[in-house]
Amino acid sequence: MSDEHRPNPEESRPTPDGAAPAAEDRVRPVPEAAEGVPAEPTGAHTGEWDGTGTASDTDSAPLGEGAEDTSAEEDPPHDGWQRLHPLSVWASTAVAGVFLVPAAIVGTIVLLATGHPWWALAPLPAALAFLALMTYLDMLRLRAIRYRVTAERMEMRSGIIAKSYRSIPRERVRSVDVAAPLYVRIFGLCSVTVGTGEKVGAGADQLQLLYVTAEQGEWLRRDLLRRGVPASAGRSGETAGTGTPEDGEAELARLDRRWFAYAPATTATLGVGLGAIAGLVGLNAQTGGVGWEWVSDQANLPSVQEMSSFVMRQVLIVVPTALLVLLVSGVIVLTAVAVETWWNYRLTREADGTVRLRRGLLTSVSLSVEGRRLNGITLHEPYVLRRSGGADVRAVATGLAAADDQKTSAKSRLSPPMPRKRALALAADLMRTPDSPLDVPLAAHPRAALRRRLTRATVVTVLGVALSGALAWLHTLVSEAWWEVVRKAEQEIIPVPLATGTVEATPSWGWSVLAVAIAAVAFWYAVGSYRGLGHGLHPRYLVVRRGMAVRDTVTLERSAVIGWRIKRSPFQRRLGLADVAATTAAGQGMYEARDVGLGQGLAWADEAVPELLAPFLVSGGRNGGEEEPPRS
Amino acid sequence: MSADTPRLRPPRHRVDKRAVWWWTTRSLAVTVVVTAAPVVPAIIWEPPRTWFLLAAAVVGGFGLLITVVMPQWRYRVHRWEVTDTAVYTSSGWLWQEWRVAPMSRIQTVDTARGPLQRAFGLSSVTVTTASAAGPIEITGLDQALATQVADQLTDTTQATPGDAT
Repeated sequence: MSDEHRPNPEESRPTPDGAAPAAEDRVRPVPEAAEGVPAEPTGAHTGEWDGTGTASDTDSAPLGEGAEDTSAEEDPPHDGWQRLHPLSVWASTAVAGVFLVPAAIVGTIVLLATGHPWWALAPLPAALAFLALMTYLDMLRLRAIRYRVTAERMEMRSGIIAKSYRSIPRERVRSVDVAAPLYVRIFGLCSVTVGTGEKVGAGADQLQLLYVTAEQGEWLRRDLLRRGVPASAGRSGETAGTGTPEDGEAELARLDRRWFAYAPATTATLGVGLGAIAGLVGLNAQTGGVGWEWVSDQANLPSVQEMSSFVMRQVLIVVPTALLVLLVSGVIVLTAVAVETWWNYRLTREADGTVRLRRGLLTSVSLSVEGRRLNGITLHEPYVLRRSGGADVRAVATGLAAADDQKTSAKSRLSPPMPRKRALALAADLMRTPDSPLDVPLAAHPRAALRRRLTRATVVTVLGVALSGALAWLHTLVSEAWWEVVRKAEQEIIPVPLATGTVEATPSWGWSVLAVAIAAVAFWYAVGSYRGLGHGLHPRYLVVRRGMAVRDTVTLERSAVIGWRIKRSPFQRRLGLADVAATTAAGQGMYEARDVGLGQGLAWADEAVPELLAPFLVSGGRNGGEEEPPRS
Repeated sequence: MSADTPRLRPPRHRVDKRAVWWWTTRSLAVTVVVTAAPVVPAIIWEPPRTWFLLAAAVVGGFGLLITVVMPQWRYRVHRWEVTDTAVYTSSGWLWQEWRVAPMSRIQTVDTARGPLQRAFGLSSVTVTTASAAGPIEITGLDQALATQVADQLTDTTQATPGDAT
C-alpha cells in the first residue's frame, strides 16, 4: 500500500502556502466583520489544543518544505500533497457505462425495429462519446485535486478553473465516514467524508475524498481521529503499514439476525396490513365465497353490464388482494433494505475512545465518531416499532450534521431496530455511565399541556365532522341527480369501475362513521402525545422525551449545552407553559422540553447547567410588569 | 405561581426607541405591497372588481392593525443584556423568545445594518454559537452602541477560555 501514499515526483506540486493557513488560524473574529461575510469561525477557538497546535506548527513547516524540495519517493504519506486514486475515474465511468451502454443498445434495437436504420447508428457511438467526454472531464477534475494530512491540519485543493482550497484543523475533525458502495469496492476504493462541528453554510462542514484506496481510507480514519500525540511521520507510517487495527477494541454491539424481524414494523406496513385484514373479513362476511366464483369466471371476460353487477364483489376481492400484495412486497422490500444497510453490523469502541460503526452489504460503511464528541444518544421509537417492543439508538454527536434534521437523524443511526432492552443496554454502554440516564424517572408536564393537545384534537374533530358532512351531502346529491352520468363516465375511463360502486354501496350514514373514527384517532393521539412528554436530569445528562408517532428520548451531556432558548406562543402564555430548549453543537443543534410548565422548565434548565441561567432568574411570587407581555 | 418557582427576569436594556419607527416602516411597506396585489386585477377586470377590492380592504385592514400594534408590542418585549458570562435577549411579540448563550461558547460577533435600519441610524448585533438553533440577534440598537457592544463581546469572548463547541 505504501506506493499509494507516495507522492509521485512529477505530480507533487510546490506548496507555497502550505504553512500559511496556520497563521490565519489565530485570527480572531472581528466584531465588525463585513455584512454577510462570516468571520473565520476557527478564530474563537481557544481550547486546550492551541498549545499542541502551536508546537506542531513550527514542526510541520520545515517538514513541508523539505518534501517539496526533494520530493523524495520515500516520504511518508502525509508530508506531501497526494492525489485521489486514478482508478476512481474508471469507477464512475463503469457505473455510468453500466446504465448508458444497455440503454444505447436498447435504443438501437428499437430504432431498427421501427425502421430507422440510419438513426440506429447514432445511440451507441453517442453513448460512448459521452462516456469518453465524462471520463476526460473526470480525469481533469481528479488531476486538479490534491489533499494532504499534516500534523496540524487536513487540506484539500480542487478545481480546474475555479481553484478552491479547503483546510480543516485536525482538532476540529469530529467524525470520519468511510463508505464503499459496491461499484467502488470492486476497484478496492472507498470514499472518505471528514466531518467537523461547524455550521457555516451548507456543506462547508465537511470534506469529501472520492475516491482513495481502502487502505488509505482506513489510515485516514484512524489517523485523523487520533488525539493527544501529534502524528509524527514515522509513527503514522508504521501504524498504516502494520495493519493491526483491532488492538484494544471493545465491542458494544454486533448484528443479531433476528433483529431483521423488526424491519417491517413500520406504520406503512401496519396500515396496509390492517386494510388487507379488514378487507378480507369484509369479503368473508358479505360474499360467502362468491368472490372466488368471480375469479374463475374471469377467464371469459364479462361484458360491461355484467361487470357493473359484479362491482361489489370486485371491490371486495380486488382491494384486499391488492393490499395483500402490497403488504407482502412491502415486507420484502423493507427487510431487504434492512439487510443491505445493517449486514455485518458492528459497533465498537477503540482504545482511544473513538466509537466506530461498521455496516452494510453492498455499500459498506464505516463511521467513526470521536468519543469526546458523542454528547448523548437518542432512543428512537416509531409507533409500530414501539408497540412491537423495539427501538433503535442514534448518536447525538458533533460532526454528524446533514442538510436537515431528518438526514442528520438518519446519518446518526448507531444500531438497527433491536429489542428495547438491548437498545437500552447499548445506550448505557455508549454513554459509559453505570446507571443509564434513560432509567431516570421523567417528570410529567403540566395538565395544561394535555389540555392544549385536547384542544387541537377538538379542532381536528370539528374539521372531520365538517368533512364528513360535506361528503354525505355530496353523496346524496350525486345519487339523486347524476348517478347514471357518473357511472357511465367512469365506465368509459376505467375498465374496472370501482369508485362509483363503492360510493353507491355506502349508505349515507356511513360518513358519520368516518367522523367518529377521525375524532377517536385525534383524541387517542392527543393523550398519547401528552403521555410521551417528559424531562429529567441525570448527574451527567439531561433527558427529554416527546412524540407519539415517533417517540424520541434524547439524552444530552450537560456540559455540551451551549445555551438556552425559551419560546412561548400566546396560548402557552395563557396556560403558563413554555418550550424550553437546550442548544448544543451536537446533533440537531437543539433539544426541547415542549410544553413544560414555565417555572418547572426554568428550574430544570437552571439545575442542568448551574451558572448559565441563574443570573437571569428571579424567584416567583413577584408579578413583574415588564416580563408579563401585554394581552390583547 | 408559588413563591419558589423561578421566573425569567427581563434583560436589562431596552432597544432604541427608533426601532419602533423601523418596525412600523417595515410593516407598512409589506402591507402596501400585499394590499396593492389584489387592486391591480381590480383595475383591469370589471366583473369581479368588488371582490378584489373587498380582499384588498381585508388584507389592508389587517396589515394596518399589525402595523399599529406590533411595533409597540415589540418595543415592550425586545430587550438585551450582556454580562461578563453570558448574552441574554428577549424578542418577538405574539410568539416570544428568550435566548441565553454563555461567553465561552460564542464563535463570532457581527454587526449588520440593512438599508432601512441605516435610515433610522440603527444597527443589529449577531452572536453566533456552534448550535444549529441559529444565531442570537439583538436588533434595533443605536449604531454607536452596537459597535460598542460588539467590541465588548469580542473582548470578553477572547478573555474567556473554551473551545466554542
